[in-house]
Amino acid sequence: MRRFVQTQGPIGEFSALPLLQRAETRDLLYVGYGLLIVALVIASYLMGAFGWLPHDPRQMDVGLINAPALTAGHLLGTDFLGRDLQSRLILGIQAYFLPGLLAIAISVAGGCVLGVLAGYRGGWLAAVVTYIDNLLDSFPRLVLILLVIAAFKADIYAIMIVVGITGMPETANLVSGKIAFLKQKNFIEAAHALGLPAHTVILKHILWLNCRTLLVIQATLGMAEAIIVETSLSYLGFGVQEPTPSWGNMVQAGANYFLQGNFWPSTAPALAILATILGFQLLGDGLNNMLEGKRRRG
Amino acid sequence: MSGPLLSIENLRTYFYSRAKRAFIRSVDGASLDVARGETLGVVGESGSGKTVTALSAAGLVTAAPGVIGGRITLQSNGTARELLDGLERYVRVEEEDGRVVAVEKDERGWRRHAEALMAGVRGKEIAMIFQNPRAALNPYSTVGNQLVETIRLHTGVKGEREAKERAIAWLERVRIDSPRLRFDNFPFGMSGGMCQRAMIAMALSAEPSLLVADEPTTGLDATIQSRIVELLGDLKEETGTATLLISHDISVIQRLSDRVAVMYGGTVVESGRATEVLARDAPARHPYTEALLEAIPSAEAIRNKSYLRAIEGDVLDTIEVPRGCRFYGRCNKVTDAIRERCAGLEPPLAEVSSGHKVRCWLYPTKT
Repeated sequence: MRRFVQTQGPIGEFSALPLLQRAETRDLLYVGYGLLIVALVIASYLMGAFGWLPHDPRQMDVGLINAPALTAGHLLGTDFLGRDLQSRLILGIQAYFLPGLLAIAISVAGGCVLGVLAGYRGGWLAAVVTYIDNLLDSFPRLVLILLVIAAFKADIYAIMIVVGITGMPETANLVSGKIAFLKQKNFIEAAHALGLPAHTVILKHILWLNCRTLLVIQATLGMAEAIIVETSLSYLGFGVQEPTPSWGNMVQAGANYFLQGNFWPSTAPALAILATILGFQLLGDGLNNMLEGKRRRG
Repeated sequence: MSGPLLSIENLRTYFYSRAKRAFIRSVDGASLDVARGETLGVVGESGSGKTVTALSAAGLVTAAPGVIGGRITLQSNGTARELLDGLERYVRVEEEDGRVVAVEKDERGWRRHAEALMAGVRGKEIAMIFQNPRAALNPYSTVGNQLVETIRLHTGVKGEREAKERAIAWLERVRIDSPRLRFDNFPFGMSGGMCQRAMIAMALSAEPSLLVADEPTTGLDATIQSRIVELLGDLKEETGTATLLISHDISVIQRLSDRVAVMYGGTVVESGRATEVLARDAPARHPYTEALLEAIPSAEAIRNKSYLRAIEGDVLDTIEVPRGCRFYGRCNKVTDAIRERCAGLEPPLAEVSSGHKVRCWLYPTKT
């Protein structure tokens, strides 16, 4: 004989999947991991900025080269000159952190301006923004940046300005798309009818209340993008130069010893890159699912 | 104070239709008056220009070319404000055989000038509520915060706490129960009727002299419609705010209006006291109004299982405005005596009795 029991709780929120396979749990894990990475990056950035490092990152120790992790005195081992990898990894964040923030600021701020112009004013501006977005999407970004470096001998900040500018149309498209969606609901018109000035409507009702989650997500994804660009360039030798550490040039320096069996000196920064980019990407993804996906009713 | 609160004279608002490659005269020579404290109901089929008239008065027409000309006068603080004063010079219209062939409009100059004339009017003097209230509220902000925003914008109340108290008082006035709890609700947590109540509170919280209600009950279910109508009636008694009520629902108009204007083809074809215009056997009335009233299903008709009466033909597409009466093609009251005039000359909006005007050749003009 089977017995049926009415379960309590709201219908519709009932989920038969085990806890770990539910979408909400997954998003929560993504965001948790992402926030952990963000906290680590910020803490490490500050440590690097104030010089609170376990070792002097330039101090060579010829007696202890290419040491693996967990060597006494060097938690994460040493590189081919016997320099402390942990200190160099922490200091390597200096190479992308502030430039990355600059790129985010440019792409988000510029994207908002363009997006509002395209979505709110519409007309030919919208067409131009979409067109530029498609144009930039179809052109490999790294090649564009290498062209800029070749032409202007650009430093990392100039490169990040390029990254920011090339990121603008994407944000602009998202913002203008959001505005187009909002315009179907006539609360923007209603706000005008209530006499609210245009800047209040745009800044408060459109950007702040309706686009803020989208912008936070764009910012986290933008940071991941900036890290990829910086580390790639440093790996290729166009970015930060030795002896200043960057994760990219650390991978490159360690790679020379990789085939000799010394995997660790290039694997450590590579794992750092992987974990960090994954963290920012998953944070953006999880936030997107949690904040944007579920508020669609209304 | 002299003159009506809001006076619209010979308003013309045109749009360009890309699909039809032609100019649509959405409003074409409409004239309306709303006196202080009165409710003017505007009825007509879809496409007769009711809503566009209201949007034009509030300066909210955005599509091109938009408002072309006319006169809109609003009495505000004892002075008459001309809301379209001196705007003719930004527009030039070319017409050929009742068809608008070209409109030149200096959009930017017009807008700058018009916004200057509208300063302090929209939202403050003329407030507006719309159909589909749920979409008219920002989904990402609480109802209370949106109400506080308009209160702080338009009234002397600037303090956060004071404005909140005022907002809660308004929520109570529009009969939202447990207003203190509702204050923190997001629009999606409220029913359509409650959203409309909140919209009404927002519109009236600015203490406007004119409320424009554009189909305020459309999209709500029937019992809620009735409640909203009741609320609008009560609030009018309490606040004395004049209302321009737009609806295609004659029963709503009947319940709330002091006077009625019937619109057809972008112009007013009949206006007068509600009791006279919508009366069962009015001595004089426009054939269009008559047809509209006949189209209302009556209990008697339902009992007899007779067919619902519809108005023959389609509503006038105002691309090519006929030389004669706009209703001529659908009119079933044309007599041989006046047929020639109906087809060839647009009748004037003539007074048939005191305050009751009809635009029809059937009635002799008293001049």
